[in-house]
Amino acid sequence: MGRILWLAWRDLTLELRGRTGLLSAVFFLAVMLLILAMAFGPAPQDLRKAAPGALWVALAFAGSLLAGRAFGLEVEDGTLDDLLLTPGGREWIYFGKLLFQLTLLTLVGLVLLLLAGGLFYLPLQQAGWLLAVLLLGALGYAAVSTFYAGMLARLRGREVLLPLLLFPLVVPVVLAAVRFTQGLAEGLPVTELLDWLRLLMVFDAIYVAACAMLFPLILEG
Amino acid sequence: MQLARSNPKSRLDGLTWLVLSLGVLGAVVGFFMAMSSPPDQNQGFVARIFHMHVPTAWMAYLASFGALFYSVAYLVRRQAHFDRVAAAAVEVGLIFMALALLTGMLWARPTWGVYWDWEPRLTTTAILFAIYVGYMVVRGAIEDPELRAKAAAGVAILGAINVPISYMSVKWWRSLHQTQSIDLTTGKIMVDSAILIPMLVNLAAFTLLYVGMVRLRGIIAAREAAQEEA
Repeated sequence: MGRILWLAWRDLTLELRGRTGLLSAVFFLAVMLLILAMAFGPAPQDLRKAAPGALWVALAFAGSLLAGRAFGLEVEDGTLDDLLLTPGGREWIYFGKLLFQLTLLTLVGLVLLLLAGGLFYLPLQQAGWLLAVLLLGALGYAAVSTFYAGMLARLRGREVLLPLLLFPLVVPVVLAAVRFTQGLAEGLPVTELLDWLRLLMVFDAIYVAACAMLFPLILEG
Repeated sequence: MQLARSNPKSRLDGLTWLVLSLGVLGAVVGFFMAMSSPPDQNQGFVARIFHMHVPTAWMAYLASFGALFYSVAYLVRRQAHFDRVAAAAVEVGLIFMALALLTGMLWARPTWGVYWDWEPRLTTTAILFAIYVGYMVVRGAIEDPELRAKAAAGVAILGAINVPISYMSVKWWRSLHQTQSIDLTTGKIMVDSAILIPMLVNLAAFTLLYVGMVRLRGIIAAREAAQEEA
């Protein structure tokens, strides 16, 4: 457990000190939302309808953009081998990277949520539920993207391969998260929407478990 | 030929020939049976495409199950043979998936008036198709055979787990927020034996064809691997 936190903490420190990577990703997504808002706009009701879809597709892009970073630095600095040589199981590497990825995605998601509130007139009153769906959805994205990023870490074409593998798998997350967000925006009672959150939880539980089990097996060496 | 004989996995054996020829024969017989089956009372002759559509769709899911099984077997046993069979299952499965999608669309046009409908089964098959295209791309991108086998197994296992989840999510996505809730899929249930028997013949024929083609592909892959090593 300690190792997991240390690994995530180290990656976060590196990411925050490096700055350029995270900042350029956030700006790219902000520009993407701006363009999408222009494409769907300017009528507020159209924008509000498109908001959840734009938000969650943007976050899916964020997931695939940031996942490469989780292992990219390790490969550049040659520290991946050090991690693999550490005695004991290898699941903790996955969980550490997952925690790092989840933290980044949640932060980016919060920024995107505020942007969607501003540009797309997405109502943000029920912040608690929005935060819940953001966390569960980000966990779903991060579970799959961290696994594939680790698997493809040393490949040259990984920037293209990662979204190709990631997007079809996270279809359930996109559907559930978009429907939940849309329901909140339309003012439906939350009790009617809870099934979507349950679906997200099931997805997260299955994929975190499966990826953690498979991760040590598919890593090289 | 020396190489081919040295490894029993790369010999083109009688069983493969038998399965393949039975499959071809069955497909021909099944085609004639399908063409002579009575027209559906709602859909007319269009329903005959189901004799093609149902078996191919069935093979698509058999492929995903086979890929899952052999990928797990590879990760447990670490024998290159399992990896080759998993790859063959996906590769042949992709053809059947494409056929299932195509026949589904051809049926949808005269029946629903559109080529594409977000019906759960159709959508799940499309998602599965995308996942296995990714599988083939990953295989193509990795040079090292062992690394390739491991990565491919990871993709195949996660992809197969995804089938029930994405099916359920698409189903809910369609139903919970839809103004029209007529279940268009109920028209597919066929009970009449005049339709059921050709359907079963076709199903058996396609299963044989699928198994035979996967065996054949596995043998070819084994020979390729042997040649690379030599």
